[in-house]
Amino acid sequence: MSESFRQSLGRKVVSRATAHELGVVAHLLPAIDCRSVAAIVLGRGKKAQLVDWDHVSGFGADAVMVADDAAPHSPSDQREQAAANGKLELLGKRTLSELGNELGTVIDVLFDPVSGIVEALAVAGRQIPADALVGAGSYAVVIDATQDTD
Amino acid sequence: MMASSINGLPVVTVHGGEDVAEVRDVIYDPEAGRLVGLTLNKRGFLSGRRREVLPAETIHAIGRHAVMVMDESSLVVPEAAPDDVASPATERNVLGNDVLTEGGESLGKVQDLVLVVGSAGEVVGYRIEKTDGGTGYIPLPAQLAVSGSALVVPEVTKDFVRDDLVGLGAAVDDFRARLGLT
Repeated sequence: MSESFRQSLGRKVVSRATAHELGVVAHLLPAIDCRSVAAIVLGRGKKAQLVDWDHVSGFGADAVMVADDAAPHSPSDQREQAAANGKLELLGKRTLSELGNELGTVIDVLFDPVSGIVEALAVAGRQIPADALVGAGSYAVVIDATQDTD
Repeated sequence: MMASSINGLPVVTVHGGEDVAEVRDVIYDPEAGRLVGLTLNKRGFLSGRRREVLPAETIHAIGRHAVMVMDESSLVVPEAAPDDVASPATERNVLGNDVLTEGGESLGKVQDLVLVVGSAGEVVGYRIEKTDGGTGYIPLPAQLAVSGSALVVPEVTKDFVRDDLVGLGAAVDDFRARLGLT
């Protein structure tokens, strides 16, 4: 069963070790190749923290379970800082084919909640399979030429 | 698409999805009938010129909404760029040039270059302001000579002046066949 970026927004993040609620999902950070979820971002701006996907023990329908209270960490590199500032958020991001044509904005991202593997992007009324994703950054998600119908 | 519509487009990395520059101007080689490169501005409103240029060889594709490069290393300082990109000759500017047939008839003045969308800068024709004031399109390769103020084109070009881009698309192949190029 696929999980959706959009539907997981606002879901609480709970420590498995202590049952403490550590925050809520602000957005999800994709890996640089956009093929998997790299981290969960809690909060926004200066207070934002990240939980690496490796520390997610269960991505459930009602809560995201993480190993312990120490799992959330401050941004540790440039990319994580950009994620904390919301610049790498996929939802609402423009997509560009590698031929330089816009294909619409990202409406949702479907991923496997067990592995974190991205399965597809929902863009302007159609699904783009994950193997067509080339890269994602602050300006755009880049999609290979096979999806460009221009 | 028109070469003039490239100006201002963001330059975006294929793998990073980052906008690393924007297009200031196109550098065109009329003999080759293709762009040889792009000059660049920094990203953002009023942020000024970027010293680096983008040689055509490093352009992945020019689309309607962005110029795609593999990564930021595609942008090179002028010293490292081919001469025709680093210091383009002024007589290479064809905009405003009078289009003259070999027989001495003016077809109009060059207004813009017509590019293949998604290519690395292949130019297939010129948009011209015809002598009667209307807009027309002529296919490339058209010019036999170019001076910076005028182009001389084969007499047969007269038969291939089209009123719209759709017409130009069909005319390019016929024109090349007539010139014995295909």
